Amino acid sequence: MSSLENEARTFRYSLSQRRVFRNFDPNLRSQEKSVEYVRALNAAKLDKLRFEDQFRKLMKLLLLFFFFLYSKIFARPFVGAMDGHIDAVSCMAKNPNHLKGIFSGSMDGDIRLWDLANRRTVCQFPGHQGAVRGLTVSTDGRVLVSCGTDSTVRLWNVPIPSLMESSDNEAKPLAVYVWKNAFWAVDHQWDGDLFATAGAQVDIWNHNRSQPVNSFEWGKDTAISVRFNPGEPNILATSASDRSITIYDLRLSSPARKIIMRANEDCNCYSYDARKLDEARCVHKDHVSAVMDIDYSPTGREFVTGSYDRTVRIFQYNGGHSREIYHTKRMQRVFCVKFSSDASYVISGSDDTNLRLWKAKASEQLGVLLPRERKNHEYLEAVKNRYKHLPEVKRIVRHRHLPKAIYKAASLRRIMTEAERKKDERRRAHSAPGSMPREPLRKRRILKEVE
Amino acid sequence: MKQFRSSLNSNRIVRQQWSLPPKASLQIPHIFPSPVRHLHLAPLRPPSKPPLRSDSAATQEKKEEANEKRPRRGPHLPNALQRELSLLNRGEPSDGDDEINFDDDAVGNDLYEYEEGIPEEESKKNRRFDPVENYQFELPEDFEDWKVASDEGEDDDNDDDNLDGDDNENQDEGRHSRMLEEITGLPSDAFGGRKKKDFIISEAYPESEYNPSGDILDGDGRISIQDLLDPLHGKSGFSKLRKSLHRMEKKSITTLTPLPKTDQERLERKAAYEQSKKDITKWEPLVKRNREAPTLYFDEDVDLGFSTIGAIASEFEPRTDFEKKIASLVNQNEFVEAHKKDGARLLELNKISVEDVMDRQERLAKMRSLLFRHEMKAKRIKKIKSKTYHRLLKKDRRKAAEAAIHMDPEAAKEQAMKQEFKRAEERMTLKHKNSSRWAKRILQRGLDAQDEATREAFGEQLNQHAALTRKINSVKESSSSDESSDGDDSDDMLVGSDQDISSKLITKAKEKTLKVLEGDEELPKSGVLSLPFMVRGLQKRREAADEEAKLALEEYESSLKQLEDQSVSGSHDRSASSGRRVFGVQKKVVNETRKKEKLNNYYGNSDSENDVEAEEDDVTELNQHDKSLREADIDPNILREEFDIGHDSVFKSFGGTEDPEPKTTYEVAFLASDSWKKISRSSYDASKQTEDSNAVRKGKVTIGTMERDHNNEKNDGDSDTDSGGEMVDGILSSGPRSTYELPSQAELIQRAFAGDDVEEDFEKDKEAILNEENPEPEKPVLLPGWGQWTDIQKKKGLPSWMLQEHETAKKKRMESLKKRKDAHLNNVIISEKLDRKVSEKLHTKTLPYPYTSTEVFEQSIRMPIGPEFNPATAVGALNRPEVVKRAGVIIKPIAYEDMSARERAEIRKRSGGKKQGKGKGKNRSMK
Repeated sequence: MSSLENEARTFRYSLSQRRVFRNFDPNLRSQEKSVEYVRALNAAKLDKLRFEDQFRKLMKLLLLFFFFLYSKIFARPFVGAMDGHIDAVSCMAKNPNHLKGIFSGSMDGDIRLWDLANRRTVCQFPGHQGAVRGLTVSTDGRVLVSCGTDSTVRLWNVPIPSLMESSDNEAKPLAVYVWKNAFWAVDHQWDGDLFATAGAQVDIWNHNRSQPVNSFEWGKDTAISVRFNPGEPNILATSASDRSITIYDLRLSSPARKIIMRANEDCNCYSYDARKLDEARCVHKDHVSAVMDIDYSPTGREFVTGSYDRTVRIFQYNGGHSREIYHTKRMQRVFCVKFSSDASYVISGSDDTNLRLWKAKASEQLGVLLPRERKNHEYLEAVKNRYKHLPEVKRIVRHRHLPKAIYKAASLRRIMTEAERKKDERRRAHSAPGSMPREPLRKRRILKEVE
Repeated sequence: MKQFRSSLNSNRIVRQQWSLPPKASLQIPHIFPSPVRHLHLAPLRPPSKPPLRSDSAATQEKKEEANEKRPRRGPHLPNALQRELSLLNRGEPSDGDDEINFDDDAVGNDLYEYEEGIPEEESKKNRRFDPVENYQFELPEDFEDWKVASDEGEDDDNDDDNLDGDDNENQDEGRHSRMLEEITGLPSDAFGGRKKKDFIISEAYPESEYNPSGDILDGDGRISIQDLLDPLHGKSGFSKLRKSLHRMEKKSITTLTPLPKTDQERLERKAAYEQSKKDITKWEPLVKRNREAPTLYFDEDVDLGFSTIGAIASEFEPRTDFEKKIASLVNQNEFVEAHKKDGARLLELNKISVEDVMDRQERLAKMRSLLFRHEMKAKRIKKIKSKTYHRLLKKDRRKAAEAAIHMDPEAAKEQAMKQEFKRAEERMTLKHKNSSRWAKRILQRGLDAQDEATREAFGEQLNQHAALTRKINSVKESSSSDESSDGDDSDDMLVGSDQDISSKLITKAKEKTLKVLEGDEELPKSGVLSLPFMVRGLQKRREAADEEAKLALEEYESSLKQLEDQSVSGSHDRSASSGRRVFGVQKKVVNETRKKEKLNNYYGNSDSENDVEAEEDDVTELNQHDKSLREADIDPNILREEFDIGHDSVFKSFGGTEDPEPKTTYEVAFLASDSWKKISRSSYDASKQTEDSNAVRKGKVTIGTMERDHNNEKNDGDSDTDSGGEMVDGILSSGPRSTYELPSQAELIQRAFAGDDVEEDFEKDKEAILNEENPEPEKPVLLPGWGQWTDIQKKKGLPSWMLQEHETAKKKRMESLKKRKDAHLNNVIISEKLDRKVSEKLHTKTLPYPYTSTEVFEQSIRMPIGPEFNPATAVGALNRPEVVKRAGVIIKPIAYEDMSARERAEIRKRSGGKKQGKGKGKNRSMK
């Protein structure tokens, strides 16, 4: 068959892309490993190429990325800021039924609904007298529940997305339930009409009742956060001011188990298996100040944390250290973070009254990707992943630009932990063998498990 | 104590204070051990029925018993219950037990009792008192008093435990009971202990079932269920009741005491936790699968609302007025019908066979691919910057066009049009008629002052002009002559007549030019052309034209002369027989004129051979008078002879008119070949001289043939004037090739690289590399005083161990050399030096985390994953990311699915024909 005929035949398959037939005999291509290594290296470089570095490195890498310059794949995670609040943003809630909508509550009692696509306020919900501490939305996305330090729980009607375009309208509460104590947090059950508030005790509410249908109390300490398990909607967990984490089961109308930790604002995150609470599954270290909020990605593979050290970090579910750190000069203490429902964005609310929208993958290309483009990205990602252990690639992939304060705090922390470790070692060396059993950090931080 | 006794006569019985208040007892514990303590020591026994005895001993015994059992007075619980209770409370401190018993008493008596608290030292509440296991003055259980035998024993019996007052009372009681016994005749047991005082109490209410009499309330007369049942005996339902009672007695269930609240809650929480644990555990296989899965898919079951454009369009409803109007128009019956009909017709037309469609598609595809290819090629060519390439390309194109002229009349016509246009342009602008600034400047300076190249260029442009203008004339004239001398066509074949015609033509032209020269056209006196600068321009041009005309006249004259000469010599110019004879003639003229201008002092005239000889002389000087030089000297002469002898008609004509040009060319060619020979000779020396001469001989022959070739080419009619130059080129390039027999490739290479020995060089290189990579061991050096005593050193030379060491080192080196990959490959060097930089870059220092063995890790990165190294079907799977999701699609939380059921379904599917259903369910990880 002549090449022309072949061409004519193959042309029918795809108009844009000619199929190329290759001989895959490995003896013909002995350099494939090094070729792929170099590709991985370049991919890593391109991924790391942050916006501000772009012009600095332009001269050096001009040839390399002239093509990529237009494909927008540089690590520019910050998409935009949403300002409008006049006090710190204390809590947020995402609409589980509508991707663009996100609610935010601030310390002055203001609640806003934002349109993420054009980053504008769509609707406001005035009413709270004090700070709004908790926001949550029912699974169908119709009802917004808010609670705050004014001891009220307020239910609101969420405006319909299609009519959201009319900006700056104010909504009236559907119901206001006044209760005995100030609230710290609220969370809604998945696919149900119950929601739980945390305060002096944990209360379970129904949409239609002005009083809680159930209350849990275990000890006298205030619960400061509450979260339902989305997969198992009857199980919820709270954290309290006595450094405890408590699991509740709604069906049994009693709390189930509590662990008390030694870790109070120790900058770490701990993930547990709910069945084995005597040991954390993983300790996620990297923050240099207290972690204020955590939200899991809907994929379950990673989670985002917001910290008092003015950074947002993204961790793998099993990663001891963060995959990504986001910060800007203007972002202050982060009080709340959320993963978007499609797992491709991260939203953070901070002390500086702004909500910020970030990409979940810093170097991801936004917009529609052509199949070939997507394949190429996938390939580069796979190659990078494959060679991530090699020193050069590792160095580039791990490199992050940190604010000076955080860099210094981190190094100080490192020195401190090292000193602690050394001291421990010496103590161990000078005590009778076996008298100081080694305990992993996962266990060490747990004071006790209360039945 | 007296007051107590007096109060005994009242309706109420107040429990006596047996012991001192706790504080007092603390002070005197040794003297007065508390009765409670005593009670504590007393074993718990079920109440036994008191024996009816009248003697004093019996009374005493009874009293003792009563004393012991004092707290058990009043109605008792049924035996079974009591047993249960005892079982229950065995573990607990007996204080509580006692207390309970007291409570029972209180209930049983229906009397208001002073509830005496347990003394604080007994209750051990706040540990204020030291616990004493055994009081010092406490009597053991088996203690027997010495007064036991006496009748008044009971007095002494209670002596140690009771106060003095109590003693008296007891004595009184004893007497009193005896008296009562005698009076009533009832057994003394009935009023045993202190309860006998109850007997005295006159009841405030008559005895009834609501107000039981004293003997019923007494410890003996206990009311059992049997008692209650007895009166019902014989009545209906009695047996039923009794049966159920039996049953109850058999399977008695005791209600436990409720636990303290904290414990209760803890147990509850524990149970709750276990429950929720179990609930969560059901997720385990699901979570495990998701954690282990290389890829999670979140882009399935995505409903984007509308699937097709048609579906979207069908949903459309007109809303605005405009839309409604349009809709009404569109939906009108006529339009609809028309549309329908049209559609039907279209459908009819659409009946095309599949083959046709395929054919058409294929054709289209082919065309498209061709176009594409062409485009790509054009792009590629456009990108090439080489000027040489483009020049060559142009040349090729021109040649192709010329070929097309012969083949294709239309192309020829087009070409002719183009030429015509060019000519017209030339005529209009006289661009090449020394009118440009450059040409003027050269003329101003004088041609002699210019260098060779400039002169050539100058000549060239004049040539061009001449060619362009002349052509027109010729074409015109030929056409006119064709028109005029139609009849002469047959005669055209004759050379003589041809020549005549040409001479005639020339004379005609001469006349015309003369006319032009003489007949000054009048300058226009009006219009734009009458403007002074226009007039000046015209005049200038006219002058130029005049000059040209003069030149032309001269040319005509010369050509006429030439023609006359030719006719005189009578030689037949074969070239003239072709249709181009006119050109040929004129060309000669052109060449002549050119000669006038540029070749004047270069080759001068026909006797250029002197120059050539001179040049050759120079060359020979360089070669120091070899034999060959002589030959070279001779060569031109031979050539001349050849030229003379050749007698080719063309040559004749050339020789006549433009001798120098061909001559020079040949000589140049010869020179070139000669010089080449000389170069080759430098390497080959004298041994090849014979060959040289041969070559020269051959050269002669070939030159002859070439002349013929040349001739033919002329005949073919290279109309362009630069053909001469081309020919020179051709000869230059082809001359030596044709004259010299090529040696074989091997020979050539041998000759070319005669000087250098490549193999040896390579060996040296290899050795150097080997030495570098496996360095030779240092030779042992003799240092006086080192290794051995100097005298021994002098005698024996180097110490043996040094030599041995050297030997082993050498051996080692040899071995390592043998082990090298290129040891057996003589012509190859395989470097085994490790580039540290590269190796550092391409290797990890430690084994990365999830891997446990090096082999596994290396295996994992062994195969490439790129699209260049893998088939397209495999690339997707190799490069798939960990999470496949689609931007803008909401991911819902994981939903529970029964893994075991899933697996079963999968197995069924697998067994049933292995369909490609991969069974990607909802893969969602659990938070």
